[in-house]
Amino acid sequence: MARGVMLMSGGIDSPVALHYLLRQEHEVVAVHMDNRPFTDDSPLEKVVDHLALLRERYHQPIPLYLVPHGSTQVTLMRNTDRHVGCVLCRRFMWRSAERVAEREGASFLATGEALGQVASQTLSNMRSATSSVRLPIVRPLIGFDKSEIEAVAKSIGTYGISTRPGVCCQAVPDKPATRSNLVQILREEERVDVDQIVEDCLRRATIL
Amino acid sequence: MYHTLRVCSNSGAYEAIPDPPRNLDLVRVRHALEREGIAVVDARVMLIAGLDPEVTISRNGKLLFKTRDPAEAERAFERVKALLADADGTARGPSGPG
Repeated sequence: MARGVMLMSGGIDSPVALHYLLRQEHEVVAVHMDNRPFTDDSPLEKVVDHLALLRERYHQPIPLYLVPHGSTQVTLMRNTDRHVGCVLCRRFMWRSAERVAEREGASFLATGEALGQVASQTLSNMRSATSSVRLPIVRPLIGFDKSEIEAVAKSIGTYGISTRPGVCCQAVPDKPATRSNLVQILREEERVDVDQIVEDCLRRATIL
Repeated sequence: MYHTLRVCSNSGAYEAIPDPPRNLDLVRVRHALEREGIAVVDARVMLIAGLDPEVTISRNGKLLFKTRDPAEAERAFERVKALLADADGTARGPSGPG
């Protein structure tokens, strides 16, 4: 089976997606993009608890990379168009995940995205976000609806963790773009030093 | 301007929404915070003030207190209201008698 890097948010979807990968006996390294101070400690605490549960269920070590992302959010908010902030944020998450994959010898990236669930998960936004990386991206939940995902989350025991109180990401703009144009995204990205940002985040990453 | 605190949608924090809506001068607010020795992250459209608990101050006046303890949130709310009034006072300039 293949080795992959899974983005874990602490929400309902990502542990369910991880469950499907582990069930197929893929080897997985988890990455959590740490959005503090735009959130509180709860997303990280939830990811830690999700992984503890799934490690025990599937007898896999599942290392967790904690990658600082708050400073990236500040740079994006100060220098780029807020309207496309979620797409730009995702592009940096994917870049960090790909760098972890290089380090870990992984051959694919994975996410709990399902089409159309939230503003950032439209087809055009996914395309804009993922054009920043080269590795294939696996989305085990892409065709699931929310109720199906929740049912699986309850059956594997992650739902109660995901729905604990927490602070939503404060960096999300009031009106995020639901359709993004890659040309505009690339133009916005020229306003920041992409390589420097990614390098800085990876240098400060820790493994839990 | 602010009536009350309420629990935010994910139940992880308390928020205060200004009524009527307002447009804060975040540069002045940041200076008011820094004068008090409070660390500030300036993200241009919002400030994150290193109070206890941490507080997000948005340009539209929305405040978010990262605590689930109502008493803690209330204490921070009173402090932030005073700081915002201070920033407003700075904006108007010193007022003398008469």
